[in-house]
Amino acid sequence: MSKRLNPYTTAPDMMKPMIALEAAVKDSGLEYSLIELVKMRASQINGCAYCLHMHSADARKAGESEARLYLLSAWRESELYTPRERAALAWTEALTLLPQTHAPDADYEEALRHFSGEEMVKLTLLIGTINVWNRIAVGFRSHHPNDRAPRIEAA
Amino acid sequence: MSQRLNVFQVAPAAIEALLKTQAYVNESGLEHSLLELVKMRASQINACAYCLHMHSMDARKAGESEARLYLLDAWRESDLYTPRERAALGWTEALTRLSEGAPSDEAFAELRAHFSEKECVDLSMSIAAINAWNRLNAGFRSRHPADRPRKTEAAA
Repeated sequence: MSKRLNPYTTAPDMMKPMIALEAAVKDSGLEYSLIELVKMRASQINGCAYCLHMHSADARKAGESEARLYLLSAWRESELYTPRERAALAWTEALTLLPQTHAPDADYEEALRHFSGEEMVKLTLLIGTINVWNRIAVGFRSHHPNDRAPRIEAA
Repeated sequence: MSQRLNVFQVAPAAIEALLKTQAYVNESGLEHSLLELVKMRASQINACAYCLHMHSMDARKAGESEARLYLLDAWRESDLYTPRERAALGWTEALTRLSEGAPSDEAFAELRAHFSEKECVDLSMSIAAINAWNRLNAGFRSRHPADRPRKTEAAA
């Protein structure tokens, strides 16, 4: 898996606003656990290992359980996620798979049952932002750090 | 989200039959760590929470790392998986998504580069088996046990 270019060194001024955007969505006021689930789900759909590596580590450090990360691609079929999280995850999928879904009314209305208008904007920008990061990381074949042992002793 | 019916109680003989296939797969000689990754990947694609719950626990008990389970959707973009595992995961996706098109010659050649002919069949049987379990559990909304806390103390 060959490396491509490094966007940070190739065009540092273009990456600065991305970093500022990331800070804005992170400090928007949405709960941190929700932010991480949204980032994980989008990164699963887009197949971004770099982002999954980073955000699974962040989520676990912040106290997220292993189970809620392992079951995330099947959140619809599990009770581990709150109604608010489910609405956010549905909206995440609707926007991440936009060519197929066209952001359906049902997902939008369900999201508005759990999020204020202002929160909807924050959530939508969060989803957009992680989708940008996924495209940067996969597009330039970013390599995640190999700092986590491939196999460990049984827990 | 209520369970539709309990497959294990309604038709136990059907489940017995599938368990026999599963036993063949388990004893085929394919490494268990590989079989678990295959089960997880198919269950992700088919969005089967019941299966993800069971197989993530089995994998972790057998020594699999958290990272290799978290990154599994993006195995192509990670060095955490061996070439043999990558070939198996590619084949898992090709057979699980069969409705999108037959597996390409390239996908088969990649598989055959890492697996003997018998292993190719045994692996395909394992993929077929997990797909069958996914369809039973997702079709009838099997509920996974609520035995794992929502949130834990920050990991060590």
